[in-house]
Amino acid sequence: MLLVVPALAIVLAVLLFPTINTARISLTDFSLTDTGPFEFVGLENYRRALGIGEFHSAIRTTIVFTVVGVLFQGLFGLMLAMFLNKAMKMRGLLRATILFPWALPTALNAIIWRWMYSADFGVFNFLLLRFGLIDSRINWLGTPDMAMASMIFVAVWKTSSFMALIILTGLQTVPGDLYEAARIDGASKWQQFKRITFPLITPAFILALLLRSMDAFRAFELPFALTDGGPARATQTMALYGYRQLFDFLNFDVGSTVAVTQFVMLLALGLLYIWLLRRRERTL
Amino acid sequence: MAAAEKGAYAMRAITVRYTGNQLLQYGVAILLAVIFFFPVVWMFLTSLKPAGEIYAWPPHFFPQAPTIINYFRVFTQSLLGRYILNSMIVSSFSAVAVIVLASMAAYGIARIGFRGSSLVLVVFIGLAMFPQLAIVPSIFTWFRDLGLINTYVGIVIAYVGLFTPIALWILTVYFRTIPSDLEESARIDGCGMLRMISHIILPVSIPGVVTAALIVIIQTWNEFFLALVILSRNHLRTATVGIALYPGEYAFPWDLITTATFMAILPIFFLTLVFQRRIIGGLTAGAIR
Repeated sequence: MLLVVPALAIVLAVLLFPTINTARISLTDFSLTDTGPFEFVGLENYRRALGIGEFHSAIRTTIVFTVVGVLFQGLFGLMLAMFLNKAMKMRGLLRATILFPWALPTALNAIIWRWMYSADFGVFNFLLLRFGLIDSRINWLGTPDMAMASMIFVAVWKTSSFMALIILTGLQTVPGDLYEAARIDGASKWQQFKRITFPLITPAFILALLLRSMDAFRAFELPFALTDGGPARATQTMALYGYRQLFDFLNFDVGSTVAVTQFVMLLALGLLYIWLLRRRERTL
Repeated sequence: MAAAEKGAYAMRAITVRYTGNQLLQYGVAILLAVIFFFPVVWMFLTSLKPAGEIYAWPPHFFPQAPTIINYFRVFTQSLLGRYILNSMIVSSFSAVAVIVLASMAAYGIARIGFRGSSLVLVVFIGLAMFPQLAIVPSIFTWFRDLGLINTYVGIVIAYVGLFTPIALWILTVYFRTIPSDLEESARIDGCGMLRMISHIILPVSIPGVVTAALIVIIQTWNEFFLALVILSRNHLRTATVGIALYPGEYAFPWDLITTATFMAILPIFFLTLVFQRRIIGGLTAGAIR
């Protein structure tokens, strides 16, 4: 027990206590430039924050980015995992390929894509024009919807392979003779997938979805470095909005309120997945 | 005779289909490699172009007059060297501290298994999911009052708290696989708890420790939010933050940005390439239960 104390102490000090304190700050009229004492104002900050249109748009952006992004990541992750499971012979080569996007720093990856997306000098416009797929340059990060789609594309590119790795661990536990038996019974490929593969990998799949959605919901450096939250704040996630309130405008009361709101929504998301996993275990 | 011939035809049909499948698999594998490596290749090609060539339309895919001038300029005209040094200091100190704390805790959880040890593990995992935005307002005000803003100590403390849970998880999974007679004989010889960890458990757990350390190094090298908030002085910035802030500071010098980015991801790239099997093992540890 004593052995756990140092690790637990620092993790509590860096993660739990600050979160509790942030919740406390969000209930006061705390200001970074004042020395206090600060007054308890109840839910006043929440009432104020919920009246700010920019906060609404940040919540919407975060939800769209998470739901659409994770949906595509799940789809490509599943396809990638099934391919990896088949292509045993090339696994060495593929492993490096697959792991590479995961290992890239998200912020620097965003910078790379910002350069490739560049409307004036970007490689995407160059190649698409060259091969006649578009007639004129596309301003990938220039309009709200396009920027959002471009940002989601980067996230899907970067994280589908991590998803695949988790799903692959599930796939590898599926016994091969199940397929043998199914084939003898005349089950089609699709039936095999629906009846054998998918049910057996569901736990790994839900775990992968959980990890990815929690990550996507916290997205900060991708919009920071790719679009700076623009244009017209269309790609400003809750994390980025909270950061701006905290450190650009020094509004620690509103910033903490955004932070706590994000935390509560994340908690709900986590509990939803745990409930899904539990329910599935019960029905089996 | 006829039957044997039929058999041979069937065989050939199977081999042909098999190689056809193989070919398709190779094709997909190559396509995947192109998709996943293209951005970095493009970045590298850009870094070899002089500024005049970078801002030309239409661009050439390969540099017309390849040059390494950008690699000199990025070290003399920006603080890249300093950023990378900062990252190395922060990552290595964090990794060592995380491994020390996490291996002690993992030993307690995996080998001693006190009452409620599995609950403690769940607490660690749960805390690892806490968003950085929620801790940042408090961390910033506390660290300011303690004089830890713009110090290596400050960022290392934050990183140890942030990344101990994942290392703990990997090490716990690993420690559970060690046969227990090893400890018993050491215990009979009167080996203390900390000595047991440092002299018996860690040496046989080198693969697990290396995996955990690598993942912590990569995660700290890549971390952005806390590094941005805690290290705000330019010469203290880590590589990831320093380079990501180039666009604002130097008005989009893509020649320098691409070069610096390539330099900053090179160490991570090599670590990943050399230790890919270990890292994947660590990332997926415990995903199957």
